[in-house]
Amino acid sequence: MDRYVCDVCGYVYDHEKGDPVSGVAPSTPFEELPDDWVCPECGAPKDSFSKVG
Amino acid sequence: MGVYREIGPNVFSVGVIDWDRRLFDELIPLPDGTSYNAYVVCGSEKTALIDAADPPFGEALLDNLDALGIDRLDYLVANHAEQDHSGSIPVVLERFPQAEVVCTPRCRELLEEHLKIPGEKFSTVEDRSTLDLGGETLEFFYTPWVHWPETMVTYLREEKILFSCDFFGSHYAASDLFADRRIIYEPAKRYYAEIMMPFRKIIQKNLEIVDSLDLSMIAPSHGPIHSDPTFIVDAYRDWASDEVKNEVVIPFVSMHGSTRLMVDHLVDGLIVRGIGVKRFDIAASDVGKMAEALVDAATLVLATCTVLAGPHPNAAHLAFLANALRPKTRFASVIGSYGWGGKTVKVIQDAIPLLKVELIEPVLAKGLPTEEDYLALDRLADEILKKHQQLGIA
Repeated sequence: MDRYVCDVCGYVYDHEKGDPVSGVAPSTPFEELPDDWVCPECGAPKDSFSKVG
Repeated sequence: MGVYREIGPNVFSVGVIDWDRRLFDELIPLPDGTSYNAYVVCGSEKTALIDAADPPFGEALLDNLDALGIDRLDYLVANHAEQDHSGSIPVVLERFPQAEVVCTPRCRELLEEHLKIPGEKFSTVEDRSTLDLGGETLEFFYTPWVHWPETMVTYLREEKILFSCDFFGSHYAASDLFADRRIIYEPAKRYYAEIMMPFRKIIQKNLEIVDSLDLSMIAPSHGPIHSDPTFIVDAYRDWASDEVKNEVVIPFVSMHGSTRLMVDHLVDGLIVRGIGVKRFDIAASDVGKMAEALVDAATLVLATCTVLAGPHPNAAHLAFLANALRPKTRFASVIGSYGWGGKTVKVIQDAIPLLKVELIEPVLAKGLPTEEDYLALDRLADEILKKHQQLGIA
């Protein structure tokens, strides 16, 4: 599974854990996060994330 | 001597005005001072204080509570953990030791870390939970990232008042309790630019929460109260939207005049093409005004002379700031001059990775600009016009 890193703060989205802070269930792929999802660490929008393989 | 003002039945403004403050975050000038607003809601059973004040104003806040005759405080609602609102919570708790601090779980963490408030003082609230004061009901809505992760807003159901903390605020010291919309638009926009703009996307979502409420007024924690909530909510909707305006922001720095000549030429060229221009001599301009200009301009052209093979440090500072504020700017370019070489464009480009901009061909002149350089600036103006036309804004 691809990893996605926040360009602003370096937070790595781990799809296995999801994002409990925003109510994103475990096993949610990055692509399926809602468009208005933001980085739980710094509030950056989804388009501030880069795929790192 | 303390002061308080009634803003509704059982609702009082007890905040303090900081007339003299001229700098915030050691960065942003405050031409009009600011205020740290706090509010008291008195139910038949319980009394709540909503937000507090910057630490130097803790005693002034207590004086205001005394003037109102508050001798018992049951709850201290902390919408936001930043010190300019929370910093005097410890002195309020010292005076009213039985008061519980009401906040989100994340706010509790931050208040424990920043202010060393003991854990037993807190009562955390769920999103959309309520607190009955006796005939007055507070309802809490999580609104993260306006402008920290823990922020919430508090809605007083019976009076339809939204206590929004920094959301919808403005740095504006005034004796008038209520905002004059002719005056407050600019301070509020400037405040949005400095504080809220990086979180534009989530603000769009938070505005939906605000839209779902029946509002008589919005009472923020800085600046006057909005008795016309639609005015400020619509303004936020516009600023946070994806729409950009037919405008170019040109911050510049010029040591010996060559870059200034190029800026003047480009400014005229854009004006004759019907494009709005906001031009700032960086060293002599207010950072807040430049941030405000970036709220809705389609294009940023950074103009700089060259210092030791790179951009002038003032231009680099502006690029760094723009990158941090993440405006919705769509296009960017660099113009300027150099004496013998350098990699100005690359340094600036590398400084703005978070701006989702398309870079338009830069124009750099060696020394005093030539006819050829002016023609290149005309082509840049043509290109900006074309890009704006493609967006349907020119």
